[in-house]
Amino acid sequence: MSKSPFQKPIEIKISTVVAVSAILHTSDGIALDAALKGMTGGVSDFFEGDLAVIDVGDLAPGSERIDWSGTIALLKKYRLNPVAVRNARPDMVDEIVAHGLSLDTGKRDETSAPPVAAPVVAPAPVAEPVQAAPALIPGANGGANAATVIIDTPVRAGQRIYARGGDLIVMAVVNNGAEIIADGSIHVYNTLNGRALAGASGDASARIFALSMSPELVSIAGVYRTFEDGFPADQARQPAQIRLNGDKLDIQSVNSTTRA
Amino acid sequence: MARIIVVTSGKGGVGKTTSSASFSTGLAMRGHKTVVIDFDVGLRNLDLIMGCERRVVYDLINVINKEASLNQALIKDKHCDNLFILPASQTRDKDALSEDGVEAVLADLIAMGFEFIICDSPAGIEHGALMALTFADEALIVTNPEVSSVRDSDRILGIIQAKSRRAQSGGEPVKEHLLITRYSPKRVENGEMLSYTDVQEILRIPLMGIIPESEQVLHASNQGNPAIHFKGTDVAEAYEDVVARFLGEQRPLRFTDYEKPGLLKRLFGAK
Repeated sequence: MSKSPFQKPIEIKISTVVAVSAILHTSDGIALDAALKGMTGGVSDFFEGDLAVIDVGDLAPGSERIDWSGTIALLKKYRLNPVAVRNARPDMVDEIVAHGLSLDTGKRDETSAPPVAAPVVAPAPVAEPVQAAPALIPGANGGANAATVIIDTPVRAGQRIYARGGDLIVMAVVNNGAEIIADGSIHVYNTLNGRALAGASGDASARIFALSMSPELVSIAGVYRTFEDGFPADQARQPAQIRLNGDKLDIQSVNSTTRA
Repeated sequence: MARIIVVTSGKGGVGKTTSSASFSTGLAMRGHKTVVIDFDVGLRNLDLIMGCERRVVYDLINVINKEASLNQALIKDKHCDNLFILPASQTRDKDALSEDGVEAVLADLIAMGFEFIICDSPAGIEHGALMALTFADEALIVTNPEVSSVRDSDRILGIIQAKSRRAQSGGEPVKEHLLITRYSPKRVENGEMLSYTDVQEILRIPLMGIIPESEQVLHASNQGNPAIHFKGTDVAEAYEDVVARFLGEQRPLRFTDYEKPGLLKRLFGAK
């Protein structure tokens, strides 16, 4: 049971990396530059070096060749760090690899790409395709029961829990600085103060429930929302659910006294 | 059976070493054979607080490297016959703390008949702090009523749940106790400081005690005498309560309510 960090020079473990998707709707560098500039509002560290997966699946077939060096440099300029390309056409592969990027061969996200005007775009986690045994059935209650993860102890700052392929149920408090992620829905029968990311592999029907809702960040199928000015006061610290409505995250009370 | 207790916090400067010194002294004063180990290799200061810095010859790293025996390195406390200090090394790198070495030292201390082994953790979540908590049976989480300290304590609790030997072997989890230090009821009353219930609300572990903010602590540190020796002071009594509760006694919480000074007290001044 020895696990001293000094005994092995390297350990290889499976890990899930959270990356943003940069979904290209055009290969025109000037248009992309202008859009990114508008999105970040000129704040140079808006993305803080986030990992990015370039998704080219929405480019019109037969559209112009992508200038990979230019695109990579452009993303880097806005402090996005491209690491992989998703939905690449076979003829792009050689060039992508030559630029040092990986190919993400995972399934296409079910979410329609939210428009740039959305709260902020970023089909979030899972840089690595998830092949969980009980496959996720999109739309069917948000996940298979077999993969449900139940946590009974507080989720503390710096901890991250990921329910792969299913729902996550937390019976204890989720503190600030903690992160809970599920491919299905998230249920917190306590106070949710940390970050909650449901539908992490793209299930837009996933929801987030908490008995006392005051998260730092919520995300469903990659559409996320932060609460810099505090969670909406009328719903904060109340029983509530969060669901994806188009490209917006709606917060709804689930208080039995106010519910029909 | 020996109990290994880590005193830790994540954040620095919250009172880990002060609390380790008073807590171990309090256990020893009640007749328990106790040793307190300074895990802050490179920045040792437990020996200063305990007033034995001039008697340090060998240290924890020497023992781990088998350059000295435990008996050579253990320093007997100047007040209590039952209390021993195992100092940290000032000159060595903290990577010299090997997991096997720490485990062997702890096993030897248990074999020597120590009832309580107090591990004074360094700040942070690096190697030294991990080594201090790895073999713990219980954890005394020292927190100031202030958001960053509470957040760091939360983090260290998560690490204890993940990295301690008890957690890794799937046994009974490490028993956690909350110790709130530098508590000022007046500032809580004025809304300038988190109340102990706020802190508990976030950390959700049983409260072992509250140590009031006091000038006495600095005075005690400078003198090299643990604060618990200053009989009659709030701090000493609060630490005595902590030791009593740890040993299973029921003691009501003290030093949590702010009493507005009465008119006479205000006119003539308290001290």
